[in-house]
Amino acid sequence: MIQPQTHLNVADNSGARELMCIRVIGASNRRYAHIGDVIVAVIKEAVPNTPLERSEVIKAEIVRTRKELKRDNGMIIRYDDNVAVIIDQEGNPKGTRIFGAIARELRQLNFTKIVSLAPEVL
Amino acid sequence: MRLEKCWFCSSTVYPGHGIQFVRNDAKIFRFCKSKCHKNFKMKRNPRKVKWTKAYRRLHGKDMTQDSTFEFERKRNRPERYDRNLAENTLKAIKKIDKIISDRASDHIKNRLKTGKVQRQKEARKQLELGIHLVKAPLALAQDSSLCLPKIKVNVSQAQTEENQPMED
Repeated sequence: MIQPQTHLNVADNSGARELMCIRVIGASNRRYAHIGDVIVAVIKEAVPNTPLERSEVIKAEIVRTRKELKRDNGMIIRYDDNVAVIIDQEGNPKGTRIFGAIARELRQLNFTKIVSLAPEVL
Repeated sequence: MRLEKCWFCSSTVYPGHGIQFVRNDAKIFRFCKSKCHKNFKMKRNPRKVKWTKAYRRLHGKDMTQDSTFEFERKRNRPERYDRNLAENTLKAIKKIDKIISDRASDHIKNRLKTGKVQRQKEARKQLELGIHLVKAPLALAQDSSLCLPKIKVNVSQAQTEENQPMED
């Protein structure tokens, strides 16, 4: 349940450390974003000497949330933190490595590049 | 489909039940119900929580080593479906379940046996001492069949002297 002002960690090596959600992409008054949704975010904290800088507005894809993810087979999964991966307009990740586990739902949503880079898909 | 074990209480989690929590190091904690999940969030150690299997095994309340536990080992290689194999497995599961529960209840019975014997001994002693509350001493004297048969216990002299202050 990510909404504007939510801080998220970053799961790739694009250079950003922490993002703040500005907008949930979808409908005009869409309230929350879950795993698999795209958000517009601003970079709050960045690793120095990388292409991404603080207070840059970028798009990101949510890969882990503290809010439970419900699957059709009745499985309910909860992660430990809210994490996103920075993507470009087409949906390709900006970084070259992904850290941590990724939810399987991303494969159905055509984020195959992210899923292929992920060390673990749960 | 796989039947998992709850991380906290070690009961089986059937599909559609419970919550899985994935930690940042990708370790999965499965819980059978919100009670276990909430205890986990409270950072309680299952080895110290009395109603969990971990506590019971650790403190010897339930049996820990048995050959039947080999049947429940996690196998990662899927078996090709074979009707006969499936049928035999189902029959075996029933039998093994009965064996396991019998052995577990035997273990508990053995564990509680010493306490039971102790309690019976104490009850007998109490009845002997307090027989005058049950039946009037006059009636007992007249009809000695109402007494409990006295148990002969060989006790050394030193022991009787030790026991006397306790009987007060």
